[in-house]
Amino acid sequence: MNIDYSNEKSVVAGRLTLAQIEDLVAKPMGTKPDKKFFIAISISLTALLIGAISVGLTFYYGIGMWGNNQPVGWAFAIVNFVFWVGIGHAGTLISAILFLLRQKWRTGIARFAEAMTIFAVMCAGIFPIIHTGRPWLAGYLLPYPNQHSIWVNFTSPLVWDVFAVSTYFTVSLVFWYVGLIPDFATLRDRATTKFKKTIYSIFSLGWMHSNRHWTHYEKAYVLLAGFATPLVLSVHTIVSFDFAVSILPGWHTTIFPPYFVAGAIFSGFAMVVTVLVFVRKIFNLENIITVDHLEKMNKIILATGSMVGYAYAMEFFIAWYSGVSVEQFVFINRALGPYAWAYWIMVSCNVIFPQLFWFKKIRRSIPIMIVIVILVNVGMWFERFVITVTSLSRDFLPSAWAYYKPTLIDGGILLGSFGLFFTLVILFTKALPVVSISEIKAVADGAQPTHQGAENHA
Amino acid sequence: MSENKSDNINSSSSTQTDVNYWRSFEDLYKNPELIEARNHEFKNGTTDDFDPLQLSSISRRKFLALLGASAALAGTACTDYRDKGEIVPYNVKPEEITIGKPNFYASTCTVCPNACGILIRTREGRPIKVDGNPENPVNKGKICAKGQANILNLYDPERLSVPLKKNDTRFDEISWKEADNYIIKVLNEADDKEIVIITHTIISPTTLKVLEEFKQKYPTTKIYSYELFNDSIKNSAWQKCYGSGNYPLLKWNEAKVIVSLESDFLGVENNRIETARLFTEGRNVDTKKFNRLYVIESSLSLTGLNSDYRLRLRPEAQYEFVMSMINELKNKGAININTDTSSFSLNSFALKYNLKKETLNQLVTDLISNKGKAIIDAGNSLPENVHIAVNLLNAALGNSNLYRTDAAKNELLKLSSTKDIEELVSQMNDGKVAAVIHFDCNPVYHFAKDLGYEDALKKVGAIISLTEKESETSFVSNYVLPINHNFEAWGDAQTRSNIISLQQPVIAPLKNTRQKEAILLTWIDGKAEAFSEKLYYDYLMKNWETSIYPTLNSVLDFKQFWLGALHDGIIYTNEITNNPTAINSNAVTLLKNEISKTPEGYTVVLKESYQIGDGRLAGNGWLQELPHPISKITWDNYAAVSEKTCKTLGVKNNDVVEVIIEGRKISLPVFMQAGTADNVISIELGYGREHSGTVASGVGFNANILLSKNNFHNSLIYSNVSINKTGDIYELASSQEHYSFDDERTKDLAQKRHIIQEGTVAGYIKNPKFIKEKQHENLQSVYEPHQYNGVKWGMAIDLNKCTGCGDCVAACNVENNIPIVGKDQVLKSREMQWLRIDRYYSGTADDPNVSIQPMLCQHCDQAPCENVCPVAATSHSPDGLNQMVYNRCVGTRYCSNNCPYKVRRFNFFNFRDHFKNAYQESPIFALMQNPEVTVRSRGVMEKCTFCVQRISEAKAEATYNQRPLKGSDVTTACQDTCSTNAIYFGDINNKESEFYKYRNHELGYYVLEELNIKPNVTYIAKLRNINLEEV
Repeated sequence: MNIDYSNEKSVVAGRLTLAQIEDLVAKPMGTKPDKKFFIAISISLTALLIGAISVGLTFYYGIGMWGNNQPVGWAFAIVNFVFWVGIGHAGTLISAILFLLRQKWRTGIARFAEAMTIFAVMCAGIFPIIHTGRPWLAGYLLPYPNQHSIWVNFTSPLVWDVFAVSTYFTVSLVFWYVGLIPDFATLRDRATTKFKKTIYSIFSLGWMHSNRHWTHYEKAYVLLAGFATPLVLSVHTIVSFDFAVSILPGWHTTIFPPYFVAGAIFSGFAMVVTVLVFVRKIFNLENIITVDHLEKMNKIILATGSMVGYAYAMEFFIAWYSGVSVEQFVFINRALGPYAWAYWIMVSCNVIFPQLFWFKKIRRSIPIMIVIVILVNVGMWFERFVITVTSLSRDFLPSAWAYYKPTLIDGGILLGSFGLFFTLVILFTKALPVVSISEIKAVADGAQPTHQGAENHA
Repeated sequence: MSENKSDNINSSSSTQTDVNYWRSFEDLYKNPELIEARNHEFKNGTTDDFDPLQLSSISRRKFLALLGASAALAGTACTDYRDKGEIVPYNVKPEEITIGKPNFYASTCTVCPNACGILIRTREGRPIKVDGNPENPVNKGKICAKGQANILNLYDPERLSVPLKKNDTRFDEISWKEADNYIIKVLNEADDKEIVIITHTIISPTTLKVLEEFKQKYPTTKIYSYELFNDSIKNSAWQKCYGSGNYPLLKWNEAKVIVSLESDFLGVENNRIETARLFTEGRNVDTKKFNRLYVIESSLSLTGLNSDYRLRLRPEAQYEFVMSMINELKNKGAININTDTSSFSLNSFALKYNLKKETLNQLVTDLISNKGKAIIDAGNSLPENVHIAVNLLNAALGNSNLYRTDAAKNELLKLSSTKDIEELVSQMNDGKVAAVIHFDCNPVYHFAKDLGYEDALKKVGAIISLTEKESETSFVSNYVLPINHNFEAWGDAQTRSNIISLQQPVIAPLKNTRQKEAILLTWIDGKAEAFSEKLYYDYLMKNWETSIYPTLNSVLDFKQFWLGALHDGIIYTNEITNNPTAINSNAVTLLKNEISKTPEGYTVVLKESYQIGDGRLAGNGWLQELPHPISKITWDNYAAVSEKTCKTLGVKNNDVVEVIIEGRKISLPVFMQAGTADNVISIELGYGREHSGTVASGVGFNANILLSKNNFHNSLIYSNVSINKTGDIYELASSQEHYSFDDERTKDLAQKRHIIQEGTVAGYIKNPKFIKEKQHENLQSVYEPHQYNGVKWGMAIDLNKCTGCGDCVAACNVENNIPIVGKDQVLKSREMQWLRIDRYYSGTADDPNVSIQPMLCQHCDQAPCENVCPVAATSHSPDGLNQMVYNRCVGTRYCSNNCPYKVRRFNFFNFRDHFKNAYQESPIFALMQNPEVTVRSRGVMEKCTFCVQRISEAKAEATYNQRPLKGSDVTTACQDTCSTNAIYFGDINNKESEFYKYRNHELGYYVLEELNIKPNVTYIAKLRNINLEEV
């Protein structure tokens, strides 16, 4: 193959000038919210309210409001938790790992993906607390000195979870904020009202766009990226330990950490694509978030989707190969038992449909892309459902088996988590630049001095 | 120098009078003290040497402590804390009560007519637990689920508390005086009109005497007694064969072969506690001596579940079966019965009903080779001719030496016949009845509807019901008089010829109720004022003094004798049971040598409910929630039919069908019960109560509607029934999921996973190590095993002795304050019982092998629940218990997920609040709780603790007596109640103990041993006494 690396394709399309880029990205912050904004936020707030009521009822009456039962101790809440943590994986992967790998195309989507990470982890963080029988005592999960001299149980993966998720959230938030500082300064400089100026001034931490600032900033950013990178892998690894460390067939599996991380990136990218497709349209960012960007993400979806498919196959193989009959039963039961419907939704959404991305046309077709990434989101939610619920509902003793059926409250809380996520996303688009202004300027045509190619030396 | 200076200053200030700067009057007037003081820079004492002794006795620490204490005091004194007066010390402490220590009182259980001896545990004056009275030779310290759960009836907030008078459609509260005066007036004015007393079986000689006195006072009185389930057919058949007496008690323990024809002797017939004990004495893994149980029945009963061989047979064919057996045995020359049985043939019988020929041949061989050591027992509901044939067969085989002679059943008052009741109804209809007194019974519910009893009541002037709770009968009564509960009442009971047991109250009446006999005594006296709390007590004592004590030739004076009898709860009479005489040779003439028409269509078999009896206990939530021992269904009855019948009818589980017997209809859901004979519909009675309080009303379906007077007294079998599918769905709540038999993936899973390990007696004798050979030796662990050097608790359950009755579950409920969750929660699989009886089927749906296994927390050494709890709320004790710290639990439920036995129970709600509009939150229920066991809040995980409260009590006792704790010091609640002694509990490390033998038994295995979590409950594998070496 003959690729001309000397003529790299431009990351920003349409030959935008730096001023145009700035105007484009900063526009939503300078204009009044329009009707579309209010419609969108009222829908997401309604969902959030339904979720809040459902949580309120759960707090008042107890976990019995949910469908959980005696073998199935974990269901929707844990499924949602793992789902949202997974969604939260794309952001840090894009901003940290792709940054370290010098993937310039990340600049167009990094800010948004990071924001989604933070919001998704916020959604996820709610579930471990509300799923406890006595949420008012959730503080017991933190190791704090107390008069009973009781420490948390460090052998429990749930404790590891507390640390993993809170660390991930903190680092993601700091990383995101550090990336925002130059943009805050830009917005401060553009601000026309005293109020806005004050707020942006505070958050820009006195940023002057000076050479010195940039030097420190770049160093700090690389360091944080290096710090965040292992977290991308560790968080979902530890989340997978919640299952893998138990002795339950279907949970007790060594493949879980890589399988969960792949699945998380898979679902995270799918969610980023889902949202970005709309954002680039609504905010006229087609030149900054180009179809090329989306195609690249679709390639990652294809790759991770195939990894997930491999993991599904490998689970079956190992169950057969282990010779443990209970293990074999669990997997056959998944595919053919009472939850076969959930299993086949999962397989078709996660393994079969993403295979369409082998075709370039499909990768670049926005309508088809939307359908596939939404199916991936559905499929990945069902993956966690299949793992959590089917394993529990039929485990060792057949006498204890029972079918799990969710209640309306379960559905309400799931809806509420989407409400929270999208409310935050919508507010974000109106309050902060959805694309990093400073970074995108740096990769715009002509922004960097170049010494290659005679045509660039006019 | 400094001194000089100071002197100078002093002198200058004192001498320069012209510039008079004075600071105080003392200064101005030159007070000598002041001058003196000025001469010292520091005040007296401050420059002295440091001497701690001279310091204030209040140290810094003490000061701070006092400061803190006074702040705390000030803080708390200002809050609105009110002493709610819940803990009140005894002003005058009763002599027998030590706070924190239970007292035990012997009494008698009156829940069913078996009248077992009980020992009631009371704490600070309130009954909290019932155990069997070990002195009682019948139940020997054991008590069934109904007896256990009776404690809930005592504290039932819906018990009637005052007399009620019906006023059109509502009931008004009236005083006892008003009620008594009115009723005495009615009784006195009865003239020649009948006064009717309707009662259940009379088991108390003193109550009988009261009734007789009542009859003397009011001569037109007639007493009727009934029992929905009784053995009167069996007895009348006996009398036809032997001339007199009743069907004797049997030596179940000595029988080698037991043949049950539709007889549920391990379930609902007769005194199960005693029968099950005797039966399992004959199934002993130590002596390797096993009886063999054949069950030929129409629907799978608890007895059938425990059988070695089981045949499905519709009940109408039982006569043909017995006669064919007789014919076969005659042909083989094994017996000599002088009657023609030539129309019968075992071969053609087997063909006709599609029975396994080998099993029948085996049965014949066993009966011949075990002559004199076999029992053939026919069920109470079978017709008389079957019983006569069985009696003859038993006699011919020489089995009558297994009739017990040490004791016999005692019948104080013969049950009324259908004819008696029919006459009563016609008298009532003719207006010849002045008053009907329902003496603690519920005939409106129990009597067949075609008797027209309820309508006839409308013609009676005074309908008086003496009852604890409202019922169908009290609902149609004019006067409803509340009576004392079992534990508030005096009484005696003679159900056996050789013993009389005494019943004493253990608590003063909680409500304004009266002893039912005392109510009658008041009326006998004729004055409302005659009543006193001691009325019946005095009467009872008097009766014992005059009629019972003299017959006993006691060496004690009466007072001593009485106190001794009260203490023991039981006395032995001198009555001698006569050996049954030889069978009447004319009895053979009663056997007809003709095969009745082959039954066609459907047959309904009505049975007593395992949980709630004949409906008397329908208001008891614990019993309603106790899973049915076979189907595991709670809170409902249903039509149990076979798989084939289901297919014929085109129905599946939960489909509602209409069952019609001669126009009497009932709609109820279908349940496919494995092992039911084809075309048989088995329905349990006792459900579908109305006007009977929050818990009982509307639970299940009232199948009493199907009863007919033409079959009254026990014929609970109806042929020619039609059945239609209605198309409705009614969901039954089962505590165990059901799987179809033909699903290869789930079939026999319990066996494949070695959860159930079984063998045969023959196989065991040949290879006693067959269980151990299958086990995993030397499983490796990454953890160093913890050394348990002291007492370490463990349990062993002998599955050869466990009949699956569920008494242990009820005992656990009572001991450990387990809430009722209700049908909706059972449907969601959220039962709270810490102990459950798992039931597994293997084989085919027609001829299932049933395996049962009590499942409770296994207290694993490497408990998987412990290491996943994030807050360390479940941990291991030094004596090997897996502990649950409720206060610490946040309710993540991870422990339950990781428990392979799924024995952990989560409080999804505050179930006490959730069930039936907080019915269980009634303050009176607080009295019922075992004070040694925490009442768990919502959101908390709980599970079996091995009765840790009893362990702690034993530990304290041992420490107090300065001796080491022994494994035998503790018994668990489930162990205490197990009538067959299937549960052993003790110290694993004590090699001398009896428990050690079972813990390390060669038939012992652990469930899911391969997980290497080291459970501490040993299951002793069940052996089936079949003629094969392998199951």
